[in-house]
Amino acid sequence: MKIMTTTLYWLQAGGCGGDTWSFLSAESPDVSELVDMLAVDVLWHPSFSRLRPAELATLHHQIETGDQTLDILCVEGAILQGPEGTGMCDTLAGRPKMDLIRALAAKAHHVVAVGTCACFGGIGGDATAQATGLQYDKWTGGGLLDAGFTTGSGRPVINLPGCPCHCDALTGTLTALVNGTPLELDHYNAPADWYGIMVHQGCTRNEYHEYRVEEKRFGEKGCLFFYMGCHGPLVYGPCNKSLWNRRSSKTRVGVPCFGCTRPDFPQKYPFFQTRNIEGIPIDLPDGVSRAHYLAYKGMAAAAAPRRLIKRKTGI
Amino acid sequence: MSAKKIQILPLNRVEGDLELHLELRDGAVYEVRSVGTMYRGIENILKGRAPLDSLVITPRICGICSTAHLKAAAKALDMVFGVDVPDNARRVRNVTLMAEQLQNDLRHSFLLFCPDFTHAAHARQPLHAEAVQRYLPLKGTTARQVIQQTKTLLEIVAVLGGQWPHSSFMVPGGVVSVAGVNEINQCRSLLRNFRRWYEHRILGCPLERWLDVKNRTNLFRWLEEKPAHHDSDLGFFIRFCAAAGLIRPTGGYRNFLSYGAFEMPRQTAVKRINGGKTLLPGGFVNDGVPATFNQEKIGEDIACARFTGYTGSRHPFNGLTRPLAATEDDVKYSWAKAPRYHNLPAETGPLAERVVAADPLFIDLVTPDGPSVFSRQLARLVRPAQILPVMDTWLQEIGHSPEGFFTNYAKVTDGQGFGLVQAHRGALGHWLQIENGRIAHYQIITPTAWNASPRDGAGRRGPWEQALVGTHIDNPAQPIEAEHIVRSFDPCLVCAVHTVAT
Repeated sequence: MKIMTTTLYWLQAGGCGGDTWSFLSAESPDVSELVDMLAVDVLWHPSFSRLRPAELATLHHQIETGDQTLDILCVEGAILQGPEGTGMCDTLAGRPKMDLIRALAAKAHHVVAVGTCACFGGIGGDATAQATGLQYDKWTGGGLLDAGFTTGSGRPVINLPGCPCHCDALTGTLTALVNGTPLELDHYNAPADWYGIMVHQGCTRNEYHEYRVEEKRFGEKGCLFFYMGCHGPLVYGPCNKSLWNRRSSKTRVGVPCFGCTRPDFPQKYPFFQTRNIEGIPIDLPDGVSRAHYLAYKGMAAAAAPRRLIKRKTGI
Repeated sequence: MSAKKIQILPLNRVEGDLELHLELRDGAVYEVRSVGTMYRGIENILKGRAPLDSLVITPRICGICSTAHLKAAAKALDMVFGVDVPDNARRVRNVTLMAEQLQNDLRHSFLLFCPDFTHAAHARQPLHAEAVQRYLPLKGTTARQVIQQTKTLLEIVAVLGGQWPHSSFMVPGGVVSVAGVNEINQCRSLLRNFRRWYEHRILGCPLERWLDVKNRTNLFRWLEEKPAHHDSDLGFFIRFCAAAGLIRPTGGYRNFLSYGAFEMPRQTAVKRINGGKTLLPGGFVNDGVPATFNQEKIGEDIACARFTGYTGSRHPFNGLTRPLAATEDDVKYSWAKAPRYHNLPAETGPLAERVVAADPLFIDLVTPDGPSVFSRQLARLVRPAQILPVMDTWLQEIGHSPEGFFTNYAKVTDGQGFGLVQAHRGALGHWLQIENGRIAHYQIITPTAWNASPRDGAGRRGPWEQALVGTHIDNPAQPIEAEHIVRSFDPCLVCAVHTVAT
């Protein structure tokens, strides 16, 4: 089989760089192996490139005129459109990055939004910064690019949310794109392989959830969903299937899931507490019937085994 | 006399994009402006939110030092709620921050700083070919090993805190996780393997041998003592810097600031370094004269920053983050404010930590002519030698300590507090006020804000602006000399530097 080189351009916009650093935790293959295995030619990544400024300017020109093909454009960070729509909150050599992103996206065969900021706006910035995502603004279709935008491949922007994006979602998506293998997009154009399950799935505290054995203060070792603001059953993500840094996850060590893959992250209401009415969470696991869920949880709590209520385990 | 203007636009950011505008006269930097080019307004996002939300929002300021922000945020809340942090929580907070620091020091040194040695401007250097073989991004022998090894350190943060980056496992009163015997074993094993690699590949000697290097003479004697020293990455770094003239002091201030690092557990075998309340002492050294540190002497000046709302300098408890509208302004040229200590600019980072701690090697290296690219980067490169043994002791002590990991605080109370830490790039502070159960005020001063600051109302340049003045630039199209200086501060914007000669 002939190995074709795939060109990749990685742009950092209004964010923290955390998606790049998360990517560096990839394992089997690690980042440098992945680039070798897939024969990726990294045209530009701000942390790894040595291009001189004049060469970078030439590269931009060549991509925009079509002299240089761009197979994959990865964007990390929110698009800052402020102040007052000028894009001057985030510039590159005096040019608003939002303009550069538009120009590159028009030429790219695939566009990947890496992390919640690039997908939906995420943490973004304050009102002055006017942050948005590439093709969504929070829950609404249409961000920097129109809701109907498609790339050369016919796909919309592929969203890999998470704050940061889990490295497995990124290495897997890049591999599928380079190899031309299937990549099914699900909710909000995120690939089903990593965003088709809930963060809850695989959490070591599942049995506590099952019998509604709750944690009410830090370190108690119970389910964090009912009082501590955990979004594990509410949001999609691979955190408890593909562990973080190969070791653990927030919910496993007792940190509630903050729902960082969801378009409205960071939510307007407080973290670390569950919005509830008389002990009943307002937000129930995605898709459940409210009446049945409440009946089920009420019975489950009554059926909770004593070994759980009087638990001594450190898990 | 020839005059020339050049712009260096380091594209990358983590805490804010940066450009440098240099004016050259007769080949040397005569005037300089350090320009932060990104504005996010995180402080404003926090206003009106629940107090603990700072534990979720502020780590996300920075993808490479999120644990440092988490710790500063948690400490500010500890202070407001008046809650004592038990010994084991202190250990977990310190060990995770240290793991992140080691990762940062190694990644900055070998993925971001050393690739400059492969630059075309150094092509005539006899060591250039070897630099390419070691540090070519994603391909070099050292570059590959650093990618593999640094991520194992982050596994320690994940074992104790769930994930890296961007976890929120530190809370007022301690940490939420409870490390058991397996978790401690995992962390110690990861650390031992990392240490073995660091000694073998980076130092070329056991930690103890390196820690015997107490002055300049010792340093060069160490280098030639054994082939393993000469050939290690540290040995190569020293040789390259010597050949490229990077050991020569640059211009700049000789003011160093450290907030002091790592709260001591009440019971521990670890000894404080040079006194102080923390493992590493805090302090301010003004041109060789040490003074005790008092956070009340910190102020932020916005005379040349693109903010409005006050004049002069304000302590962060009274600070404002009110951005100016779109128009470019010749006076207000940066999105970064200008932090000052007792009205003076101050350099912060690993070198400042060493100077404040009166470390003999680094005192010798910066005396009498001030810091160099070499001394700044060396302090970062060898910082793990001092930190690794402490981490192992604290991990071992977790298993033996009767103290828990969390002290419950009575309730969320109003008040004000601050959290000061030594982050990997230096002094990091969060200042917080809570009113009616909500965040009423939040101000953050990052290490890069200290180092990259623009001028203040008195016209004093920021530390790296001043360090650049007088620097000779061989080829204005490739001002590698200026790039080395700025990168030696580990500016939290990674390595791409962009130059346009006009």
